Amino acid sequence: MKHVKTIKVGSNHKISSTSGCGECQTSCQSACKTSCTVGNQGCEQN
Amino acid sequence: MIHKYKKNGLNIVLDVNSDSIHIVDDVVFDLLDFYPENKDDGINDLSNKYSREVIDEAVQEVDFLINQEQLFTKNYSSDAFNVYNEPVIKAMCLHVAHDCNIRCKYCFASQGDFKRLRSIMSLEVGKKSLLYLAKNSGNHYNLEVDFFGGEPLLNFEVVKELVHYGRSIEKEYNKNFRFTITTNGLLLNEEINAFLNEHMDNVVLSIDGRPEVNDELRVFSDGSGTYDKIIPKYDELIQSREGLYYVRGTFTKFNLDFSQDIFHLADLGYESLSVEPVVTDPSNDYALVAEDLEKIFYEYDLIAEEYINRKLKNKDNLFNFFHFNIDMDNSPCFLKKVRGCGAGLEYIAVTPKGDIYPCHQFVEKEEFVMGNVFEGITKPSVIEPFEKSTILTKEGCSDCWAKYYCSGGCHANAYNMNGDLNKPYNLECQMQRKRIENAIYIKGRLALEVTDD
Repeated sequence: MKHVKTIKVGSNHKISSTSGCGECQTSCQSACKTSCTVGNQGCEQN
Repeated sequence: MIHKYKKNGLNIVLDVNSDSIHIVDDVVFDLLDFYPENKDDGINDLSNKYSREVIDEAVQEVDFLINQEQLFTKNYSSDAFNVYNEPVIKAMCLHVAHDCNIRCKYCFASQGDFKRLRSIMSLEVGKKSLLYLAKNSGNHYNLEVDFFGGEPLLNFEVVKELVHYGRSIEKEYNKNFRFTITTNGLLLNEEINAFLNEHMDNVVLSIDGRPEVNDELRVFSDGSGTYDKIIPKYDELIQSREGLYYVRGTFTKFNLDFSQDIFHLADLGYESLSVEPVVTDPSNDYALVAEDLEKIFYEYDLIAEEYINRKLKNKDNLFNFFHFNIDMDNSPCFLKKVRGCGAGLEYIAVTPKGDIYPCHQFVEKEEFVMGNVFEGITKPSVIEPFEKSTILTKEGCSDCWAKYYCSGGCHANAYNMNGDLNKPYNLECQMQRKRIENAIYIKGRLALEVTDD
């Protein structure tokens, strides 16, 4: 495309059998302990 | 819903529901003001500014992205949010010491004792806690346990025993414990470092940054600063460590120029950094208030630019900043984004005597005791509001573009500042949005740089 560069193709709509498996890190256990950022908690299934 | 913004020459567009991110030129950026309802008006209006040929090209690309469900993706139905049929615990904040060897003035745990008599967790309570987690975590394989306090290293012998105990029950329950510890570092020594390096998946090391900043609030009981004592300890641990660590600070009204603290820590050679805004009663002199936001935003911008600068110029002392670490290729799934922190459902905190709370920030608020590790959950009514609180119920979240990045924010901040889990702490929301804009911007800048090469 000439006018758009897509840097991330979102996948919110892709719900698979492993979605919500919960094997990923709990956001508050990582570093913050005071604010909730789940955007940086990667998926464990990939 | 989309969110678009300009930053340092980049036009950035986030498609909120799909989580697609695009860098666009000016014509598409302007055109999107009219989409989707007033597309034809946009084409007419913009013909004074751009040639018809260019506008047609842009329209074609925008329409293509809409067809691909990467722009103006529809809202999810409320059914997609009903994901809590059976809450299963998977993470535990284990308060092995309600005692501390320093007296940070902003400590939410009241200088380590959580407003109670100072106490440490016995090995018996600790074992019961791990067993409770192993037995009540359903099919979850990975279980997280953070040794927390106060200062957990005041109870190091129990920490050690608990790690060994955890390992000894992993096989029987088909679990993998991931241990972490959050410490102020003062008690670190060669023996403890070796143990942490062998057994802890992550080590969170507290310090606020520059000496004068750290020593204003992170002090010993005689009021003297802790910086000079902590730094050599952290140097030694980090140099010997191959695993993950975070050096974590708190910024307050006293260091609104906190970018300098990040750079100071980075220049000491510490790579993984997190500096968090203090959350406290506005009557405290170090509290952050709405008037500080402009300066705070400026600081987040400075951190973003320096992050990019060091990365692109291959400078020494590269750093990563916790809130800028958005994973573009391996995002958490949608259900995770809806669930958020999971306090009270997937995540619990256990006190030295074994009481269970929804998270560490609710500890010793009596109305939030859910049960204890001996009897289990005795007050399910405490969990109910956590179960029901999602981005659908939280005030302002439905219309917020950042909802799938923060998942409604911190329950404790909402409760502590507004007395209601469903009323997010506005200052937190505004800072969170600013951090996310910067995180996406960084990814955009770095992606374009790779393309240009």
